[in-house]
Amino acid sequence: MAQTSETSVTRGAHVQHHFVDSDQQFESSKMGMWIFLVTEILFFGGLFLGYITFRLWYPDLYIMASEHLDTFWGTVNTIVLIGSSLTVAMAIRSAQLNQQKGLIINLCITIALAATFMVIKYFEYAHKFELGILPGTYYTYEGIPHDLANIFFSIYYMMTGLHGLHVMIGIGLMIWLIVRARKGHFHSGYYTPVEVTGLYWHLVDIIWIFLFPLLYLID
Amino acid sequence: MQGHHISSAGFLWTVGTTLLILTLLTVSVTWIHIPAPFNIIVAISIAVVKATTVALFFMNLWWDTKFNLLLLFTSIVFLGLLIGLTLIDTMFRSDVVPGW
Amino acid sequence: MATSDSSNIKKLQVRRFKPEEYPEKSYLSEEKGLWAWMTTVDHKKIGLMYLASITLFFFAGGMLALLLRTELLVPAQSFLAADTYNQIFTLHGAIMVFFFLVPSVPAALGNFILPLQLGCKDVAFPRVNLLSYYIYVIGAIITLTAIFTGSVDTGWTFYTPYSTATEGSIMLMTFGVFILGFSSILTGLNFIVTIHRLRSPGLGWNKLPLFLWGLYATSIIQILATPVLAITLLLLTMERLLGIGIFDPNLGGDPVLYQHFFWFYSHPAVYIMIVPGFGIISEIISTFSRKHIFGYWAIALSSLAIAFIGFLVWGHHMFVSGQSSLANVVFSFLTFFVGIPTGIKIFNWIATMYRGSIDMKTPMLYAMSFLFLFSIGGFTGIMVGALAVDIHLHDTYYVVAHFHYVMMGGMVMAFIGGLHYWWPKIFGKMYNETLGRIVCVTLFIGFNMTFLPQFVMGSLGMPRRYFNYLEQYQAFHQFSTIGSYVMAVGFFTMAGYLIYSLRKGKRAPSNPWGSRALEWQATSPPALHNYDHTPVIIHGPYDYHRPMQEFQLGIADSHNGHDDHPPTDPTIKTVEADK
Repeated sequence: MAQTSETSVTRGAHVQHHFVDSDQQFESSKMGMWIFLVTEILFFGGLFLGYITFRLWYPDLYIMASEHLDTFWGTVNTIVLIGSSLTVAMAIRSAQLNQQKGLIINLCITIALAATFMVIKYFEYAHKFELGILPGTYYTYEGIPHDLANIFFSIYYMMTGLHGLHVMIGIGLMIWLIVRARKGHFHSGYYTPVEVTGLYWHLVDIIWIFLFPLLYLID
Repeated sequence: MQGHHISSAGFLWTVGTTLLILTLLTVSVTWIHIPAPFNIIVAISIAVVKATTVALFFMNLWWDTKFNLLLLFTSIVFLGLLIGLTLIDTMFRSDVVPGW
Repeated sequence: MATSDSSNIKKLQVRRFKPEEYPEKSYLSEEKGLWAWMTTVDHKKIGLMYLASITLFFFAGGMLALLLRTELLVPAQSFLAADTYNQIFTLHGAIMVFFFLVPSVPAALGNFILPLQLGCKDVAFPRVNLLSYYIYVIGAIITLTAIFTGSVDTGWTFYTPYSTATEGSIMLMTFGVFILGFSSILTGLNFIVTIHRLRSPGLGWNKLPLFLWGLYATSIIQILATPVLAITLLLLTMERLLGIGIFDPNLGGDPVLYQHFFWFYSHPAVYIMIVPGFGIISEIISTFSRKHIFGYWAIALSSLAIAFIGFLVWGHHMFVSGQSSLANVVFSFLTFFVGIPTGIKIFNWIATMYRGSIDMKTPMLYAMSFLFLFSIGGFTGIMVGALAVDIHLHDTYYVVAHFHYVMMGGMVMAFIGGLHYWWPKIFGKMYNETLGRIVCVTLFIGFNMTFLPQFVMGSLGMPRRYFNYLEQYQAFHQFSTIGSYVMAVGFFTMAGYLIYSLRKGKRAPSNPWGSRALEWQATSPPALHNYDHTPVIIHGPYDYHRPMQEFQLGIADSHNGHDDHPPTDPTIKTVEADK
């Protein structure tokens, strides 16, 4: 039980009226974010199911098709995302230690890394579009000797596309955090938005950690 | 409260470096061409280790309330049910996709 | 669990807070006006807005059902064209499932009652709660637009490949349902956090009202299953938009895979609909038997067990879809397990009534109807879960009758029972008891007239979703249609006396049923922030052997953050409460 009988504890301005104290609010928000992450895992989980089903049916398709994904840039993107996870963790640490400047710098680096990820992703997509590797019925590429090559790339585009969308949302959230941080909203007693955005961002990273070997590293 | 764990900068950098090394490892093992089922097992195992590292030390589950860890665990269990029970069908059909 | 430490007993200074009878100020009299309602973050007002919306959809869906039944009075076409018939049953299903059944108890009654039962001022994320309502409204508007701009005739399941090939505004419709899913997820998320974090002092897990256990189990299903519906509908949309081919056999995809995706959500969704109803029944039966609930933990944990087992059985919708024989056998086997926790509940409710002093008020009559109708629905469910029997009964009226007994005989009866049970608390007015009982009996008779014949004609081979039928089924169809008219009369009478009670009804006391649960210690209707004190709970919500004043305790010197009330009562004493 988080409620206590002491009412003499001074309430910070950030504590909403229906919470007893700051800790109760912080723990509630964090649990709420974790539950949201559960829904994210099952949301992506549907795509993983599609991936696994077709991979078990057509293993040779996956081997042939994944050769058309660039392992080098995939690796670079993995490293970029891991770096951004690190900077988000550093940003939370800065907020916890009242380091206003460090918080903003770390968030800026995170945004830069996330943008790098999207730019690389853009060039990967553009290259495939040129070849005629498009999703679904628009698939025209003839370089893969398998009838169902379109299926692999449909799954590829769905997975990476949805992941990319989450990266974009993450960038939006970071910008919002910077705006609030510049107004001095965050300090060691209240950094909940930074913490929960961090949790979201790490999950986006975790999903990529699985997408990378599943899509790029099939030999 | 458990929620306010503050990691040292050095610790966070160590975690980040570990993840980087594991990434390079998972790429480099593809160069030695492990035979069929084991290459996937190796790749996924490394991914699981990386994801666990992120969850425990970046997402602070190591220090957090156990319920949040339970939530993550639950989601994985139910994802397993979704995949596992579907595979009971798709892996045991006499005809994979009729007509193909 | 979480931060609670059960061995920790804490001493609290408490005094008695007797609820004020017939208060002048309540949540209804404060923050009035359209704008205040639309921007409110108060869980009670949001609950009422949900209640109004789902009632609207229930009547819309009900009218569609009446159209279908009227068309079926005679074989062949009478006044609806075959295509129109297909669209109407699709709409009836989609509206009832996505717009009424799924949000009904959690979002409407649950929103209102949950914080009151926990003794807190609001749900954990009030703004998210309001957001979930607006998402619901947006989803509803999009879906209605889809209905008016085009046609959807796939049935509420949107099965591929028909749904990817047919004309009509399926994309808009699935997009509306997709949006709606987020509303459901946010409600579930909010409830779980609220139950974990915002319980009053002393309210341990062993004292949680069973309605909240039901909502808790429901919320878990909502957050685990709904995202899979979202990805399913997204894939379906992409299939139509880009032809990604995962579900399309022409492109090498697998339509049965779509059914797996769909039923991974939609079977657990059946439990999203019914489990909160179980919670209501537990509350009603205990209150009107004036007796401690029998087997508290058995009922509480069987809700969680149903939530879990509900995820293991979806394949029983697919016995004739062409899935592997192994999957058929496994899913059929697992399906029987659902009967166990459900049976546990039924037996415990009956044991609760045993030697209780039963008061057959309207809510209790609905609980009785529930027990009877839901048992029939449950047993027939076991029958269609049996592999060989289902081959015969699949897609016949037998299945239609089965799920209407569960959904309407079970869930709707529980919902209406709950509505009558909490009506005095929500609006502070009493409805006409005599009319209430008459309507309940009318609905019970009308319901059985409608759906009992459908079991018979289903087992004789009448397929569902058919516009036409052989003359040998005509007597059953006509009997069924007359039954649906009887129900319609019942529902309109109910709407009449409930609306009348709002305007002219007698004012309700704070605790008209003499219940021991916490929500009845708020005023009727509750104050804007529910309680002017921090409630302290030392007994369970069903401890009828304890005197009422021991259920009216609150922290002595706290005013729940409202410091404009100076302490007046000198009767302060100390109790020990679970920390």
